[in-house]
Amino acid sequence: MIHFERTKLANGLTVIVHQDKTTPMVALDVCYNVGSRDEHPDHTGFAHLFEHLMFGGSKHIPSYDEPLQKAGGDNNAFTSNDLTNYYLTLPKNNLETGFWLESDRMLELAFSKKSLDVQRNVVIEEFKQRYLNQPYGDVWPLLRQLAYKVHSYQWPTIGREISHIEKATMQQVKDFFFAHYAPDNAVLVVTGNVEFDEVLTLANRWFGPIPNRNVKPRDIPQEPVQTEIREQTVVRDVPNDAIYLAWHTTDRLDPMYYATDLISDVLSNGNSSRMYVNLVQKEKLFTELDAYLSGDYEPGLFVVSGKPSNGISLETARKAIERELDRMKQDLISEYELEKVKNKLEANIVYGEMNYLTKAMNLATNEILKDADLINSQVESYRSVTAAQIREVSQHILRPENCSVLNYIAKK
Amino acid sequence: MLNRAIQPTVNPIDHIDIVQAEKRMLSNGIPVYFVDAGTQDVVKIDFVFEAGTWFQTKNLVASICNSMLEEGSQNYPASGIAEKFDFYGAYIQLVVDQNQGFINVISLGKHLPAILDVTEDILKRPVFPEHEFQVLIAKNKQKFLFENEKVRTLCQKKFTQVMFGDAHPYAINNKLEDFDLISREDILQFYHSFYHSGNCQILVAGKVDPEYSGVLNLLDAYFGGDDWASPSARGPILIPEYAICPDPQKRHWVEKANSIQSAIRVGKNWVPKTHSDYHALSVLSTILGGYFGSRLMANIREDKGYTYGIGSFVLTLKKASYLVISAEVGNENVEPTLTEIKAEMKKLQTDPVSDNELETVKSYLLGEFLRDFDGPFALAASFKAINDFGLDYSFYDQYLKVLRNITGEELMLLAKQYLNPEECYTVVAGSKEN
Repeated sequence: MIHFERTKLANGLTVIVHQDKTTPMVALDVCYNVGSRDEHPDHTGFAHLFEHLMFGGSKHIPSYDEPLQKAGGDNNAFTSNDLTNYYLTLPKNNLETGFWLESDRMLELAFSKKSLDVQRNVVIEEFKQRYLNQPYGDVWPLLRQLAYKVHSYQWPTIGREISHIEKATMQQVKDFFFAHYAPDNAVLVVTGNVEFDEVLTLANRWFGPIPNRNVKPRDIPQEPVQTEIREQTVVRDVPNDAIYLAWHTTDRLDPMYYATDLISDVLSNGNSSRMYVNLVQKEKLFTELDAYLSGDYEPGLFVVSGKPSNGISLETARKAIERELDRMKQDLISEYELEKVKNKLEANIVYGEMNYLTKAMNLATNEILKDADLINSQVESYRSVTAAQIREVSQHILRPENCSVLNYIAKK
Repeated sequence: MLNRAIQPTVNPIDHIDIVQAEKRMLSNGIPVYFVDAGTQDVVKIDFVFEAGTWFQTKNLVASICNSMLEEGSQNYPASGIAEKFDFYGAYIQLVVDQNQGFINVISLGKHLPAILDVTEDILKRPVFPEHEFQVLIAKNKQKFLFENEKVRTLCQKKFTQVMFGDAHPYAINNKLEDFDLISREDILQFYHSFYHSGNCQILVAGKVDPEYSGVLNLLDAYFGGDDWASPSARGPILIPEYAICPDPQKRHWVEKANSIQSAIRVGKNWVPKTHSDYHALSVLSTILGGYFGSRLMANIREDKGYTYGIGSFVLTLKKASYLVISAEVGNENVEPTLTEIKAEMKKLQTDPVSDNELETVKSYLLGEFLRDFDGPFALAASFKAINDFGLDYSFYDQYLKVLRNITGEELMLLAKQYLNPEECYTVVAGSKEN
């Protein structure tokens, strides 16, 4: 159980505070409700490029990192399809430096040409390092493109292609900032060795004067229901064949989400999971096999990915996966098995509560989703899932006409 | 009136609380180190054996032996072991490094008895079943092929080979054929030689009971007997000696066809933790490439945009230490990057670090120091970092003293002595055609 206090400033900024006196540190997390789903199809990769630009100086502060380091701080950020999250940690008596830095870049960036020129190159190198120059690096981009025909989840956060990043202009950077970076489109979370009143005072002082920017609610075209199976085959210079199956699933707030998550756990979480025991260990059909959710906030994907053992065809591999999925759709899982996956989820939640920074990030991302308190109700949500619901949701999601298949063939 | 141009007052870090590890013994003499910290009912127990790659006479034996421990024991088949851990939401991590083999267990405190019960069987009575052995070999073979597609893997392998010489255990020189040369017999022999009570120490971190009595009694019941002493009771293990044979040639190339980026490693041997310059050199290497504001990041990423990331790391092993700079860059930027790396080293040798930069890096490192002692797992890692080298907590007092007092002039003199670009090995892995 994570106790926290929550308030909203007049300009619309939500402020959340969780006290943890066992650490000498504080974490400050600013999460913006903007991700790659908010991008224009011709300017993909922009939310992520923008994350880099947020470190290139703000209106009154030429360098972000140096003053933070002078206060003993450390920081990082990430961009997902749904949101952009910035977080820093500091010794508790230097908390105000964090407020000073984060509020100035919410107020306005420096919009420096040099920063844009350099970060374009940095992001292009990141594109190569993570996607183009990695074995199987293009799997997610291919899979998203196959599964989504309309929704902006069809491209990865790094962008659809390098040229989109090369072409980014300063005007686009400015427009993006004022459209999405605003107190009324963000959450501020402070955790660690702090008092609520202290945070409130600092938040009012530093973030209070930033104007509300009337951020428009997002209006993303929704993906139509998929009606027939999709299949794509690519040949790549990789050591082994691989297969990827992706089904459309629910959004994160749908009551079915928890059952869906447990289905992926039954199939592949841990060495006692069904697919690992049966297909990797017993039948030796795969050397790697996983089932997982994309975790997106809007309707996401349920994915099974596997690398067949030497000499096993993709067809045999796929049939074996389908056999395990059929069992999920036909038979009720045992009470013991259900208890096991629930125990594991519950333990993972406790492990996640050990660190003040993890707690800050979980509070922030859940508040962007809907409500920070979801992190406290999730145990109950998982606990209440029944074996019948697991079967029902399996039948509902894991239908052939809802599936996209990517055959990834190793060039001989 | 709010002045956004001025940084709020920065307060010095004057007080650092360090929860020290305390030593106890099991009845059979296994040392147990306790780090009592944290708020959640979580305990991590590391069983540490001197069973790293240093001790193997054939490639892969140390790591496969370690991985095989969870693949079946006398009272539990592999699936039974996995069932137990999964049912209680606990984790087992099997890891091998150059010197040690680890069996790390993380569990909710309330489930520790059940978890230690199965861990005992894993450690004392593994059966190394043939089927699971074959599955593991096949899995690792695929992983090997996958890793060897990456320029960074190829570069790091070559770098360790030229630094230490092919035959040295610190050189990574696994080959695909090695997977066919290893037998179950090799694994059994390695297990019997190195996984026994005389070669074990235990590290416990988390929320434990006062005086540790509960956990200590449990550990003693499961691991404190004489039933898993070395079968031959031959006493201390003879540690093989290997000579370091560095390659006379300093520049090396590894071809990886069709690669659009190249991996770079530039590095040299470094002083051991026990050396009087060690702490000051840690500050120096941080300035060079050890944090986001470092010289290498500022120049090569933030000014030139050649790479997504560049950094330098000091790796301290029991028998050797080295400094290594690593980056992945577009093929066209390899030479410019190497030139800038050398220029940054030269600059440290010729110009004293400014007061402003020194103040930044000192504050940053003090903040890092606080993080290194925050929470049970960080505290345990910081303890292990000294205990493995026969050092005590005065090592950290010494570090703080050096960190607070070191000057720009002193750092320049150290750079002259230790950061000569001419002494560095340079390895690039990439494609000449692209």
